[in-house]
Amino acid sequence: MLIALLQAIVSGLAVGSAYALIALGFSITFTTTKTLNFSHGDFVSVGAFIGVSILWLLLGKPINSPLSGVSIANWQHLAAALGSVIVIGCLGILLYFLAVRPFAGKPGMSWVMSTIGFGIILTSLGLAVWGPSQVVVPSPVGDDVIRIAGIGIRPQEILMFVVAVIIMVAIDLTMRRTMVGKAMRAVAHDRRVASLMGINVTAFMVGAFFLSSALAGLSGALIAPIASASLYVGLGIALKGFSGAIVGGLSNPRGCVLGGFALGVLESLVNLWQAQWREIVVFLLVILVLALRPHGLLGQHTVEKV
Amino acid sequence: MRAPHLLMVVAIAGGAALLALLIDNDYYLRILFMMGVYYLCAAGMNVLVGYAGQKSLGQAGLFAAGAYTAALLTTSFDLNPWLALGAAAIAAGACGVLIAWPSLRVRGPYLAMVTLAFGIVVEKLVSEWTEVFGGADGIYGIKSLAIFGTPFGMLQWVWFVIALGVVTHLLLRNLLSGRFGRAFLSLQADEIAAESVGVSVYKYKILAFVIAAVTCGVAGAIVAQQNQYLNSDFISFNLSIFILLLVLFGGAGNQYGPLVGAILLTLIDAQLAKWPSIQHFVYGALLLFSLYLMPNGVAGLIKQLLGSRGHTPSVRSKSKSVVAANFETASDSRHPLLDVDTVSKHFGGVRPAQDVSFRLQWGHVHALIGPNGAGKSTMINMITGVLTPTAGRITFVGQNIGGAESHVICRLGIGRTFQNLRLFAGLSVLENVLLGQHCRMKNGFWASLFALPSSIREEAAAQERAWAILDVVGLTDLAMSAAGSLPYGLQRRVELARALATEPKLLLLDEPAAGLNPQETAELGKLIVKISKLGITILMVEHHMDLVMSISDHVVVLDYGIKIAEGTPSIIQADKRVIEAYLGAEAA
Repeated sequence: MLIALLQAIVSGLAVGSAYALIALGFSITFTTTKTLNFSHGDFVSVGAFIGVSILWLLLGKPINSPLSGVSIANWQHLAAALGSVIVIGCLGILLYFLAVRPFAGKPGMSWVMSTIGFGIILTSLGLAVWGPSQVVVPSPVGDDVIRIAGIGIRPQEILMFVVAVIIMVAIDLTMRRTMVGKAMRAVAHDRRVASLMGINVTAFMVGAFFLSSALAGLSGALIAPIASASLYVGLGIALKGFSGAIVGGLSNPRGCVLGGFALGVLESLVNLWQAQWREIVVFLLVILVLALRPHGLLGQHTVEKV
Repeated sequence: MRAPHLLMVVAIAGGAALLALLIDNDYYLRILFMMGVYYLCAAGMNVLVGYAGQKSLGQAGLFAAGAYTAALLTTSFDLNPWLALGAAAIAAGACGVLIAWPSLRVRGPYLAMVTLAFGIVVEKLVSEWTEVFGGADGIYGIKSLAIFGTPFGMLQWVWFVIALGVVTHLLLRNLLSGRFGRAFLSLQADEIAAESVGVSVYKYKILAFVIAAVTCGVAGAIVAQQNQYLNSDFISFNLSIFILLLVLFGGAGNQYGPLVGAILLTLIDAQLAKWPSIQHFVYGALLLFSLYLMPNGVAGLIKQLLGSRGHTPSVRSKSKSVVAANFETASDSRHPLLDVDTVSKHFGGVRPAQDVSFRLQWGHVHALIGPNGAGKSTMINMITGVLTPTAGRITFVGQNIGGAESHVICRLGIGRTFQNLRLFAGLSVLENVLLGQHCRMKNGFWASLFALPSSIREEAAAQERAWAILDVVGLTDLAMSAAGSLPYGLQRRVELARALATEPKLLLLDEPAAGLNPQETAELGKLIVKISKLGITILMVEHHMDLVMSISDHVVVLDYGIKIAEGTPSIIQADKRVIEAYLGAEAA
């Protein structure tokens, strides 16, 4: 029983690191532009496929050919991951100009619809290129399960966790210790004043969307060896990342990351008890948290001056 | 306007019904049927999205609530299909309350998330709890609606949805054209201002969610009963998006938007059904670009092309009854009008009010002055329920109002204006003033929905009073202009008119002269005196000392949250502490 519990917590932390990356991405765009990318999930799915496509390209194989058993060099894996980070990041810039910029800061939250629309277009294009089937992706660190004290861990899970934590610590340090981070928080606080202080607000907003989307691409590339690449894998991950961000508090990047991890563990524990109730419990929890603490557990409550 | 509109509706519905009779093809009849179904969804959703301004991404959950209620009641419980349809509406309405509940506390993207999560929970529930909902295998043998024991054929179904659509359209039109429509719009524009004129934000948000839920639930039940089969594939995130798109593409906040959206999107949907991948691409493109190219949807675009300005000045009341008649505030000598008793407010270490006490007398013009940061606006906000005092009592005509909700306080008789204007910028000046009348109108939901005589009477009376008030503040010529388009000084007057329309015993003016030029300030002074003569007590926060000293009967001075003096203007002008607070102490 204890082993099962520990196992659940460990796998929860692994999948939670993907949620945390997504949650951090949401937090970055929300704090700088007060908007969110509702097609984040599609970015994750497409990110996974961009990675796989780069592998196909580097190996000289046709699209949708099986990859299991093929020997792939480490630099090829690295190139695939970097490629998907950059391509999805650039997609984020496109999204900003097409779907967010025309509506940001205006009443009516039209950006919710336009970003959803962007995602639907992206997915249908993806379906045209890659088709609806799943692609098994080999992990750069091998697929043999490691056993520690009776708990089985896949090497890719460790890799994902480590990479995610490194990235998140790096972003946290940048936000808190550097001038860029300060400028970013200034833009978040009041874009007009930030602009008067000589900060190029548009550049920061574009940067925020690049970074946020790049994180989606990264989590897609990282999770593909665990969950297989599929155009339907992203929505669930992004929704849970979003839930993690909401639970932790969108305005607080650290809260978002913790929320992502917490949600991963919770989901994994519910899974232990009743697999089919997983999503239902998670989302009911989100609704409950919002009803009790509207700005998340660690979010800041802002008072509007009347 | 009423009769031609009714004729037009009857003509359109009759035309559609006749068309259905001529079509001899189940496929085309089905398209007509789905148009009707989607119209129902969109019509309710329009109240939520277009009027109340709340985005819901989980309408599929409400559709499911109706569909599965009808399905389960007619199969497992063998209930009469008509009763099941009614039960479906109630069940969906109950779910609407459920999603509205968190919306009372969360806004914007958080609310979108809650509704999204609700939709996903329902989707998972019906697809995975197979013992009850049948999952992907579905539920068979759902009973169709029947008349005289004969189940509806496709033609009857089309006629039925047309009839239902007409009824829904007429009822919602009744509801939205008056008091309730304005209240919904005020939520979208500014919730704090809406509360300040007596609109209960909670109540109207829940109501909007319930209306959207009921129409969606009925639509779901009809689809289940017509198909006589229902499975979990129908309930998906795509359906939620489609329902929202119906409204946004058709034209949110436009009465005809849902109809336009339902017709066009059902046709597009039917045309593209053969190529699912292109279908999704088209929806994506519509979502992405239609809001950009036509922010008011197709219906808005048509309106713009036709060049109709929408608002033609409605019939002006013939009798400009003297406004004073509305303000017979019988002074109640047993109680002081307002008694602020040792009130304190702390924000962490900041204390904008510390044991402040003062009383306001019936019929006087009071002023609350003090240097910046003295806690004047905090005091106004505590009296009007925007803030809750940390300690102390605020009594209004013998009733404790400390911590009461703003809309309740408004109803009791305290009206206010805001330091930074909070008008409903998109609404006309007249509508702004009519919203002030909101809390004095007595027509309830059902009376408005069915346009009962009482509701028509109330609306006419409110219009008359609004025109009279506009006359007092001198804005009759601008009544039909959008409030946000007026110059600043006039916007201040509109806000004053709106506050007057709440028929207050006590009127709180938070820096009414801010941003006005000397001439406008002098006019404002005259206007305040005029209002005071109508029997309304006034408490104003103001920095223009000329104005304060010339028109007030009694002045209260705050400094750093502490009351340092009160009395007549002459006493205040001579008070040493007041002079110190404004000019600094003499070096000893």
